[in-house]
Amino acid sequence: MRSPQGAERRRRLVEARDVRREYRLKGDLIEAVRGISLEVDAGDFLAIVGPSGSGKSTLLHLLGAVDSPTSGAIYLDGSDVTALSDSERARFRLEHVGLVFQRFHLLPMLTALENVELPMAEAGLARKEREQRAKELLTRVGLGERMRHRPGEISGGQRQRVAVARALANRPALLLADEPTGELDQSTSAEMLELFQSLNEDGTAIVVATHDLQLAAGARQQLTLVDGKIRE
Amino acid sequence: MLIFRYSARELLRHPARSLLAVLGVAVACAMLLDMLMLGGGLNASFRSLLTSAGYELRVSPAGTLPFDTGATIADADGVRSRLEAEPAVDAVAPVLGSNLLIEGDAPDRLFVLGVDPAEQGIYRLTSGRDPHDGGVVIGRELSDAGLSIGDSISLRAPGSFAEAGRRTGRFRVTGVAEFLYASSGERSAAVALPTLARLTDQPDRASLMMVRLTEGQNPDSVAAALRLRHPELEIASVGQLVETAARRLSYFRQLAAILGTVSLVVTTLLIGTIMAISINDRYGTIAALRAIGISKRSIVAAFLVESLLLCLLAAGVGLGLGLVVAEQLERILSDFPGLPSAIRFFVFEPDRLAWAAAGVLLAGVGAALVPAIRAMNAPIAATLHREEP
Repeated sequence: MRSPQGAERRRRLVEARDVRREYRLKGDLIEAVRGISLEVDAGDFLAIVGPSGSGKSTLLHLLGAVDSPTSGAIYLDGSDVTALSDSERARFRLEHVGLVFQRFHLLPMLTALENVELPMAEAGLARKEREQRAKELLTRVGLGERMRHRPGEISGGQRQRVAVARALANRPALLLADEPTGELDQSTSAEMLELFQSLNEDGTAIVVATHDLQLAAGARQQLTLVDGKIRE
Repeated sequence: MLIFRYSARELLRHPARSLLAVLGVAVACAMLLDMLMLGGGLNASFRSLLTSAGYELRVSPAGTLPFDTGATIADADGVRSRLEAEPAVDAVAPVLGSNLLIEGDAPDRLFVLGVDPAEQGIYRLTSGRDPHDGGVVIGRELSDAGLSIGDSISLRAPGSFAEAGRRTGRFRVTGVAEFLYASSGERSAAVALPTLARLTDQPDRASLMMVRLTEGQNPDSVAAALRLRHPELEIASVGQLVETAARRLSYFRQLAAILGTVSLVVTTLLIGTIMAISINDRYGTIAALRAIGISKRSIVAAFLVESLLLCLLAAGVGLGLGLVVAEQLERILSDFPGLPSAIRFFVFEPDRLAWAAAGVLLAGVGAALVPAIRAMNAPIAATLHREEP
């Protein structure tokens, strides 16, 4: 991550310019993100930290084109995602962004292999091709022996690995993870950090929103949010 | 196809809920099928019965329907001759109907039809031969009661004892037949028309004439033309009689329409409720799927397939159940007074099955559409915020 004025040596994946996100909650105006500008380049591993309600998840959703800013602009891989329609943004996320959630959100009735295949099926990959890639990904995250298991049949850490494999299915340059260790114990969290570091070394840019200091310390860059603003 | 596999397995995730939904919709589907069979069944069955003997027109005394009253056609031979002289007419079968008593210790009532054995459409012989002079063809009820071909019975027209001798005849059973228009349990028999006319003191009379047309004639047009030339007679085509019967029995159709609509509403509510509960349980997952780029269309399709599978299973069970229930109801209604027992209330036709299945499937899929679209339009980020701790 570098400031907007920083030198460009690597491919720019995310550029946020004076992004604001406000919403109303029971009549009150909540300013979740207040004028944030940042950039994420290929190879970055950025941890967004901050207290609860500081706007970490909101910022992550904005960076991943899951949510739209109230004002400001967000460029993902050079595209102004704020100008895209709902379905165009969905397609963009499918092809360019990998997302990992605290609660995994795997489909319980599908096997690990099928869960990883899902985004590839949506992208239109042929069955053999997607099955082959899903197997490679599950092996990559250490679940080569658990491919035919359903989420209910594996541990929390393994579920999160399946979720990471699913996020990588369509070869996104950017992986966003919202509290990925929030449901995991300490040793499993450490394994998750190792996985993220390994993926990052392979070239995947990673942005995590986390309370987990161990995970944040393992990232290459850290950014602290307080009350919706970056604390210098 | 992966998303459809997901839909199918999702039904197994809550087997009790899915089973109850399938059973509920199956009952509604069975009711819909039965109502569709009932709605058109009487008409189809009545038409089939009236045309089964191959006579396209019915002639009765003016202002009456066949066997609707005790009125008879006078100058029956003359009327028959005049009708047979019509170029569009191939043959005329006169019928006289009357109640007679079987002589014995405890006289039994018997409905006897006087026919021209050479030209009749009232019965179908199952054994023996037609009732030429001195003979009688009996129905299954009498046959079951012990009468056989070759046996003799005495038949007497009801009336005073003074006339009893003149109005009694002894007949030999020549055949056993299925009487096409007999109601359930009715004892029927047929003798030669002149014999019955003599016994009942109704010379040259007929209750009804059945008319067969030459090939290629339009029964409605011929009936209209004949009515103009024979205003003293009521002449109706089978189609017109079916319409009259349909009007008289319209409450069956109204009942079928109301209950059929109720079954569709029940299906819609049941599937709508089940799918709403199921979709509400998965708001977080839906938001996550949308966040990772799964399109709204794919997710709505998955829910619709889920609903479709539920309805398909229910339709499979429901259509079978509907046929069984129709059979049971048919047994009860076959004793409906005054209607020929050959009339079927619930007539199975493949298109009724298809309509019932299509109705349930459409209602079910339509019901799932509303909660599915509502879930699709929920904001992703806000839903994820709410779902994540």
